[in-house]
Amino acid sequence: MSSEDYGDSDYGDESMGDYGSDGSDQGYGSDGDFAYSDDDGAGMGSPLAKGTRKTFVVMDKDELRERLKAAVAQVVDLLCISDAEATRALRFYKWDLGKLQEEWFGDPDAVRNKETCKICFESFPVPDMHCARCKHYYCKDCWRGYIQTAIDSGPSCLDLRCPDPECKAAVPRSVVFSVADAPHRQRYEEFAVRSFVDDQRQIAWCPAPDCQNAVLSLSDRLGVAQDIFCRCGAAFCFNCKEEAHRPVDCETVRLWMIKNSAESENLNWILANTKPCPKCTRPIEKNQGCMHMTCSQCRHEFCWLCQGPWAEHGERTGGFYNCNRFKKAVEKGEIDEQEQKRAHARQSLERYMHYWQRWAENDSSRKKALQQVDKFRGEQQEILSERTATPTSQLKFIVDAWMQVVHCRRVLKWTYAIAYYTFEETAGASKEARDQMAQHQEFFEFNQGQAEHYLEKLHHKATWNAFREQLIGLTDVTRSHFDKLVNEFEKGLDEALKEYDVPRADTGPSLVAAAAAAAAEASSRDAKGKAAAQPSRRVTRSSKRRQEAGEDPEAMVLEEAAGFWQCRHCTYANEDMEAQECEVCGQPRRAASQR
Amino acid sequence: MASKRIQKELADLQKDPPTSCSAGPAGDDLFHWQATIMGPSDSPYSGGVFFVTIHFPPDYPFKPPKVQFQTKSPKVQFQTKVYHPNINSQGSICLDILKEQWSPALTISKVLLSICSLLTDPNPDDPLVPEIAHIYKTDRSRYEETAREWTRKYAMG
Repeated sequence: MSSEDYGDSDYGDESMGDYGSDGSDQGYGSDGDFAYSDDDGAGMGSPLAKGTRKTFVVMDKDELRERLKAAVAQVVDLLCISDAEATRALRFYKWDLGKLQEEWFGDPDAVRNKETCKICFESFPVPDMHCARCKHYYCKDCWRGYIQTAIDSGPSCLDLRCPDPECKAAVPRSVVFSVADAPHRQRYEEFAVRSFVDDQRQIAWCPAPDCQNAVLSLSDRLGVAQDIFCRCGAAFCFNCKEEAHRPVDCETVRLWMIKNSAESENLNWILANTKPCPKCTRPIEKNQGCMHMTCSQCRHEFCWLCQGPWAEHGERTGGFYNCNRFKKAVEKGEIDEQEQKRAHARQSLERYMHYWQRWAENDSSRKKALQQVDKFRGEQQEILSERTATPTSQLKFIVDAWMQVVHCRRVLKWTYAIAYYTFEETAGASKEARDQMAQHQEFFEFNQGQAEHYLEKLHHKATWNAFREQLIGLTDVTRSHFDKLVNEFEKGLDEALKEYDVPRADTGPSLVAAAAAAAAEASSRDAKGKAAAQPSRRVTRSSKRRQEAGEDPEAMVLEEAAGFWQCRHCTYANEDMEAQECEVCGQPRRAASQR
Repeated sequence: MASKRIQKELADLQKDPPTSCSAGPAGDDLFHWQATIMGPSDSPYSGGVFFVTIHFPPDYPFKPPKVQFQTKSPKVQFQTKVYHPNINSQGSICLDILKEQWSPALTISKVLLSICSLLTDPNPDDPLVPEIAHIYKTDRSRYEETAREWTRKYAMG
């Protein structure tokens, strides 16, 4: 062994150069074992006699570091590789410089880049391995198994750490994406997006079953009901994720939903409408028949009124239907109390039923309206567009009308839940408080009634039925006119006139008007539709006035009979018979020349 | 992947067996091992020999192995009952690295060593058998006596 310093060592030599900085005899053997001797040992009070060959070297931390540095530097110099590569290679060969050198001259590329995977214990070239920024290298297959197993076991895969039990390094996305297969990558992405939404208070998923959208609330009042209208058509409350329910607060909705589903209502009903069998205590509802009850379960016979055994009822107790035991019990106050309780329960149940029925009715109307919109959007819209030669974009007003109906139905529905809770009679409330509540209730119900009225009107108009009624009416009226025309002509006009009982001399408009009135009456008999029925009332009053204004009597009569007048400009069927301008285009009803 | 890794572990165990434990396949099935653990000398289990079965899942090492003390069962020859707050009468072991703390970088040898240290230092705050944990916490000498008694009765000779 030479005793030169590192820098000048001849590394081409099979026996590796000296490590020591003291220049003493020491080696870094090719078998990988350190066999040190050190002169310093003697100088520091070693029991070894001077001149004895040292078989060990004592090192402190700094010296160790020095030696490590030196070992790496030696490899860097020898193999012309970077510090990091040299360290990795030395570690891989367990600091056995000889082995490293041997392998290096066999296949430098393999040595340069080899590392053992701590999962499968195989060696791999480093470029084929990954680590989570912590120098714990694992092969691609093991990373794949590790990451995919974690992804399969749920969203906790987002917090995946390096497989080394002592290491806390997080597994970066880049590693996940470079090893996982496509379905796992997609799931990982989904988990990431889900955590983005779930962990943020101001973002929430749309609760509709098939909807993938999330909603970012821009409200600065989180925790308060906020109606959200998703692109998918769902309407929900951002705060409680129930269906949208403004102006009701979330807590009331929750109470109401619990009440709707709760057993308590059933219990109330049972309490109000049944009595327990005196023997087996099963509730029995008396829906018909006499007071002689026989329990369907235990066959016990008893009296419905006094709940005593039927055996005790008979002549000696004053007849079967004159149960004096009941009276006695009432006198004693036993049954009275029970009856009162029942009456109270019945009353509160009736109150609840009142509000619930209206709530449920509006809910079902809303659902039907939604179906109608879907149906219209699906096919009817195109058919209508084709028939009326109107682009579908211009038929949007129909969808708008329906969506308004849906929205209003929902609001209206919830007003019944509000009413149920707001105007609940509280025991022991002062007269003033009660008066104020009554006032509030009246005002609320007035508003509710107004809103409901217009909603009903809109809902009716939006239906096909409204249009159909008008058309049927018009058809009937027209048919009646033509029948008359033919019949009367066949009969002979004289005869026909006699039927109307109109003086011959009085010809002109009034005769026509009378005929129209008769026709309208006939049509109202045929068709029960409103549109047809109305003209018979109006015809004389308004037509007379307009005849005086010099309008064309025949056209006028036809219009009166039909129940609308058609605008000459835009063909809109105006229902207001008194109007002189078209409701849609604003053009005058008559051409100037006819005036 | 699984069988290759299990073979590697087996080779490692044979080459460099850990003190106080041994492990290897119970039969022809590489995925079903049998292991023995010597009761640690600084514990009431000292002198006992405990038998442990190990089942490797098909996706080992990404899923943890199922490790159990052998208990009464007509199928197995060895029966071991262990009086320990984290080992129940079925032989199940409550050990974090066998559940959520499992890592593919762990090996059977490390698991067996962990079980050894669990025998020495029970974890009464996360008990599988609350009664034993209670006695362990309130009356240590009674716990040690019972554990020794059970070891003598069920894990010796």
